[in-house]
Amino acid sequence: MTHPTTFGDLLEQHEREIYAYALRLTGDRDDADDVYQDTFLAAFRAWPPPRRGAERAWLYRIATNKAIDRGRRAKKFVRLGDLPIAAPERDGVSLADLATAVKTLPTGQRAAFVLRKVQGLSYAEVSHALECSEEAARSRVAEAMKKVKEAMR
Amino acid sequence: MTELGAIVADARERLVARARREGLETVGYRIIDSPLGPLWVAVGPRGVLSIHYGAEPSPLELRRIVRAYGPGVLPDARRVDDVARELDQYWSGKRHEFDVAVDLSPLTPFQRKVLAVTSRVPYGELITYAKVAHRAGNDRAYRAAAGAIGDNPIPIVVPCHRVVASDGTLGGYAGGLDAKRHLLKLERGAAVPPGGWPPAHLSRS
Repeated sequence: MTHPTTFGDLLEQHEREIYAYALRLTGDRDDADDVYQDTFLAAFRAWPPPRRGAERAWLYRIATNKAIDRGRRAKKFVRLGDLPIAAPERDGVSLADLATAVKTLPTGQRAAFVLRKVQGLSYAEVSHALECSEEAARSRVAEAMKKVKEAMR
Repeated sequence: MTELGAIVADARERLVARARREGLETVGYRIIDSPLGPLWVAVGPRGVLSIHYGAEPSPLELRRIVRAYGPGVLPDARRVDDVARELDQYWSGKRHEFDVAVDLSPLTPFQRKVLAVTSRVPYGELITYAKVAHRAGNDRAYRAAAGAIGDNPIPIVVPCHRVVASDGTLGGYAGGLDAKRHLLKLERGAAVPPGGWPPAHLSRS
């Protein structure tokens, strides 16, 4: 993937996965729309992106922070109606797993779960997106997985 | 388009509108269809900045735009509507002159002068590279004039296809000589003769 020269490059290269990520984190199209917009506008304002190859994790970091901020402000009940639009495309994670994660995990832990298990980021990228060490990222993902499994029993 | 793809396309429109309102977008672009294939068209605050043959601009073209207007170059169909409509009218033979503003400000003064001369060549007429250099104020600079015409960032609207060699042969064209033949046939109503036009067909003034 080429290093973006313009906002348009950044948008065209990453908007789909960032939107899907936002939808998987929030379960709701309106919320996802806000996270997607806030993420890219923040990225444009913070231009230029970080070093070549790091812009994807950078966007995930912004999106995660935007989703956590919204989670703090948002209502307590969770709507999952729009989740099937971004049903996971990976082996080992089902739509039911994702719905359980959205319902039961706090936004930060949910982000760890979705980044690793659904978006398929490496632990190095997850740690960058969550602004923590790789070890902490591993343990957050493991913890999130454990909670999802427990909740599904 | 998948359901997610359609939703993202909708969300993008709203995002671009917000970026425009907040002054983050400086240049909008869109790929439009034409009888000569896809064209990448960009419009900036002062007018049309680029019409590029193909679905993507060259890195050089993009750098030129970013140098002039910063990185706020975003896909924005609406900003390209006016020139897209005029191009449609041109392809159907209903438009002989373009009314949209063009922005040549990122170019050098000499390039601007050469392209301003080129812009004044009427629909269906021909001019030589040497004559363009002459009208731009420098008889000897016909090679440089040919270079500036070859680098024209806004072909079709700035009609560099009307510029040919002094012997009546086509010379060059950024979109390829078939594209140049197509444009000249559209405007002159007859196919380009093999070997070009006799010099009598060329503008003498």
